[in-house]
Amino acid sequence: MYPDKHKEIVTSLMEGKFITVEDFLFETIKKNEDFYINFFETSFGFEIIGNHDFYYLVSSDTNENTSRDISIFFSILCYELDKDGKNFLEELNYSEFHIDEILEFFKNSSWLDVIKANKQLNTDDSLKRHIGTMVKRNIAVKQSNDRYSFTKAHKLFIDFAKDLVKDDKNESIA
Amino acid sequence: MIKSEPKSILQFMASHYDLLRDLFDLQVKNDIITKEALSICIENYDKNIQAQLTEYQILVEQNDDFAFNEPYLILFEFIHQQFKPLLPEEIEHFGQSIRTLFLKIKEGINDDKNILLERIEALSNQIKKFTNAVINNTKSLLTESKELKANNKKIDYQEKIHKARYLIENYISPLNTILDVNHSQSIYNELLNVSQFSNVKRFDYGDESIRREFEKLYHLLRQVGKDLNTQSVILTNELLPLIERIKTESQYLRGFHHYLNNGNCYKGIEPPRIFVSTRDNIYNRFVYENTKEYFEQFKNEAELIVVEDAQQTIDWLFDKSKYKETLNKNLPVEDFFKWCESSIKQESENFSFDNFFMVTSLLFEDDYEVTVNKQGNKITVSNDESELIMPKLTIKKQEDVSR
Repeated sequence: MYPDKHKEIVTSLMEGKFITVEDFLFETIKKNEDFYINFFETSFGFEIIGNHDFYYLVSSDTNENTSRDISIFFSILCYELDKDGKNFLEELNYSEFHIDEILEFFKNSSWLDVIKANKQLNTDDSLKRHIGTMVKRNIAVKQSNDRYSFTKAHKLFIDFAKDLVKDDKNESIA
Repeated sequence: MIKSEPKSILQFMASHYDLLRDLFDLQVKNDIITKEALSICIENYDKNIQAQLTEYQILVEQNDDFAFNEPYLILFEFIHQQFKPLLPEEIEHFGQSIRTLFLKIKEGINDDKNILLERIEALSNQIKKFTNAVINNTKSLLTESKELKANNKKIDYQEKIHKARYLIENYISPLNTILDVNHSQSIYNELLNVSQFSNVKRFDYGDESIRREFEKLYHLLRQVGKDLNTQSVILTNELLPLIERIKTESQYLRGFHHYLNNGNCYKGIEPPRIFVSTRDNIYNRFVYENTKEYFEQFKNEAELIVVEDAQQTIDWLFDKSKYKETLNKNLPVEDFFKWCESSIKQESENFSFDNFFMVTSLLFEDDYEVTVNKQGNKITVSNDESELIMPKLTIKKQEDVSR
């Protein structure tokens, strides 16, 4: 017998979606983690990666461009939130953002050269489409009235950036 | 010597509070009020009060410039709760005085009564100053850290980290040490020793006035203990976590800065691996309907009954080797097709042309040489159903082919 909602789990993951701890499917995967590791490896040669926040699939192919765009998006958003005096870690976890607010952050960002060089982020329309891509992958969630929140999947991209200088103790402040 | 009435001074301060507040801010910012800055400030308010400012000794001259007189500065700091954090060395200075006085009191416990009384009084004063310094420092550090966290001045993260590091190293960590009960050299522990000593002496001393002084000192220290404990809690529960958050965020921000800087995000650094989704769903959206449809097509199919033919027919089999052997014996044959007809008729009078053609296939064997009759004679072969008209073929053994 397959676990409950097996078809939904497989379909979501194969669409490149993150299944996050907020989602009831998360518990099913967690309970049957060994089964799913084996299932994806044997059936498709894919690896399912999970932690206490989310599960997602990886294969030998990677969608490098999309991943880069998402990483740049979060790096800039966090940077601007911090400049605005906000606790970006809490904001990403618990707050909703109006689309105009996000657009404004990017418009006034000090990383304009990076933004201009990126076709997914350099205009209002492309930025909206990019957020749409994140919604499809369950990294962002569209709420009512053009507001968006972020799922725990955002951590993959901000932790990635943090770990880039993890071993560099020279600039440590404590 | 101030000649004016204290009430007049306070009334003057109340009347010109806004101007004095501006001067206080200048003093805090620059540690001095330049002559030019003072003139501009006075002009802005259109109040010619420079004479009173010096007469009431609110401002004192420093060369050609001015500075807030210290008692007023302390008053303004206090009423605005806006203290300049003291360096640990400044706070430690109170600690040294406390240690020295306490040592003197213990050593001269049986000395002259008057000097002992004055030392106890001086010790109390130093303890009060120390406590105030700690309370004010905690407040100002908390305010500064909160401002830093809120980043009201919109400073860059590197400057922010620099400031946070500066606050931790120079103010917060040393203050923590001063208040650390587990640190044997902390002033807090020294105060506990004073408290213990005065608690004994308030009962165990010959002179009543000295006992009373120790009693006052002991009660002061009980209150100080509570106050310092409160500050220590603020430090542990608010200030250190606040700095810790700035620190955690800074680790992320350093990562973002590194990633975005120098085009790093476009070259050299690979982003996290994510799945390439395909349009082909592993489960077709209509898999259920399609499967159902597939099986349903068999559901109502009419029953097909196959009735086998009861009459057995004996199939004629062409025994090629047998026919070839016969043919070889009869070579050369003048009329091949007629030979075929007569051969097959020996087996069955009623032959079919299918069988006839099978026998004629011997014609294509490599062993024979076939020639067409030069006169163009035709022969006929017939059975019950039809008649074939064919050329007359002569067949003989091929000379150079070994059999």
